[in-house]
Amino acid sequence: MKIICVVKFVPDVDSLVCDVETAAMAGTDFRMILNPDDVCAVAFALGVKASSPDCHVEVVSMGPLSVRPHMEDLLRLAVDRGTLISDPVFDGSDTLVTSAVLGRYIATRPFDCLLTGSRSLDGGSAHVPAQLAETLGLDQMLGIIRIDPQQFDSTRAVFDVEDENTVTTYEMAMPGVLGVTRQSGYKLPYVTLTNMRRDVSDELAVITNQDLGFSETEIGPAGSLTKVVKTYPRTYEKKARHTVGNDEEGISYVFNFLKEKGFL
Amino acid sequence: MKKTCIFQDTEKTENTTDLLEAAERMYGRGQFESHAVLLADSFDPLMGSFHHIIRVARGLVDSYDPRGICDILENLHKENRFDSILIPGTSLGQMIAPRLAKRLGTGLAAGVTDIKKNTDYIEIIRPACAGKILESIVHKGNGPMMMSIRPNAFEYTPGEPLQTVVSTYTEPVNSQSAVKRLHVKKNRQTCDIRDSEVLIAGGGGVKDIFPELYRLADALKGTVAASRKLVDQGIAPRSIQVGQSGKTVSPRLYMALGIHGSMQHLAGLRHIASLISINTAANAPICRLSDIVVQGDARQFIDRLMKKIAAYRSKGNEELT
Repeated sequence: MKIICVVKFVPDVDSLVCDVETAAMAGTDFRMILNPDDVCAVAFALGVKASSPDCHVEVVSMGPLSVRPHMEDLLRLAVDRGTLISDPVFDGSDTLVTSAVLGRYIATRPFDCLLTGSRSLDGGSAHVPAQLAETLGLDQMLGIIRIDPQQFDSTRAVFDVEDENTVTTYEMAMPGVLGVTRQSGYKLPYVTLTNMRRDVSDELAVITNQDLGFSETEIGPAGSLTKVVKTYPRTYEKKARHTVGNDEEGISYVFNFLKEKGFL
Repeated sequence: MKKTCIFQDTEKTENTTDLLEAAERMYGRGQFESHAVLLADSFDPLMGSFHHIIRVARGLVDSYDPRGICDILENLHKENRFDSILIPGTSLGQMIAPRLAKRLGTGLAAGVTDIKKNTDYIEIIRPACAGKILESIVHKGNGPMMMSIRPNAFEYTPGEPLQTVVSTYTEPVNSQSAVKRLHVKKNRQTCDIRDSEVLIAGGGGVKDIFPELYRLADALKGTVAASRKLVDQGIAPRSIQVGQSGKTVSPRLYMALGIHGSMQHLAGLRHIASLISINTAANAPICRLSDIVVQGDARQFIDRLMKKIAAYRSKGNEELT
């Protein structure tokens, strides 16, 4: 079976510090991490590979060359092939363009299943997997909390999706696009000592627009149909807070507040 | 007159009208023609709010088939040439909106929380960088303006009732979706935190005593909510997560126990009438937005407040709960 995991490296939002006056991010050396939902997608694929050694796992990402070491780390975890689509001409592309770029590359590769995360930690838009599926003419599902490994092969996948009140089991004919969530709990294996320092540079392909052949008007800000015109900080109404201790006086204050407001 | 198409909120049909507020911010009240597209049989809650209700004929498309639903919306757009298409940011909406935008070759703004109309352009506002900042987006190109709207971000105030024209969409769907629903299992029944007037919310500071929050929630006839930290650790279910990657809530009372109040969490708070935070750090960001800050341990706070409430109720001030 051939699995392609389409992943994104995102800023670790917990480490980002935002200047509340200017909405600018303090510093530029924030940590990049593999999007948490995407971690689960790769982890599931590697789980399949561990039990069926014939399984081939490729990880594809679009991003700056600076994520190369992260891609190499994945290759050290038994990912068979890594592909980084990186070219400054893609900078500023919206999701529509991003999915077109990814789609053009993936259409050249053999695969039975595309695994993605459900949502990205930074933008949270969940656009790219759906638009990639549309580009490739495939079905797509997001919010997957479990894929049944016994019913996952090159012809079909059976998986569970959780929503507000239900867990629904679906079957999708493959190839298709499956979006896994963090709730799946799939975890990456640890890197072995032997692999830790293995040179994997040969296993990572870097694809540029020279390989994909988009015109200048199709990509980057020129090809994008949405444009961010400004960013600014959120503002919240500050209240005249009253600080109390966790003692009889403080509890009484809270109690009286709740009574006065009709909560008791 | 502008034409807007609004797809049904499949999780709560009655919330579909809230998207009219988004359309009003773009065009102004009474300045646009509204078309609601519904998969549900019941359209009563929407009568009088929309100019047109288009019901998709029963059996035409599965309610979990984004490709089939996109076929319908694409055809309706060809017939009606909408100026904007608004999709609720539900799980289904998040699969439909990007696909439809791709088909129509138009830009899409996701998770929209506000809209501002300027003299010559419309600013679409959405949280970015996990809710730490807001970004203004403008639409380019000739396609319809497409947005997915964050649930609970807009609230529609009904005006004069309209004469709604109801029609049925019957054209066959061409898309060949290869997804089958095998079975549906009811999850444990929980109240939707978006509907609750009282939320008792826990964060990383109460990870060891999270079940205790249910006692307090019961006493205050409220519902328990959680921050992302607890959800990521598997302590609380995702359905009760407040914040940028969770839900937006507007309760009358929000009691935040052991919640630091990161920007991502605060992004989920909207129109909170009263906020009480219980935190060992009185300078945590959430404390700045609080009416009352109780500085101290959450477990002790719950025990002491529960005792006080129990004593009050045992005196006959209210029936025992």
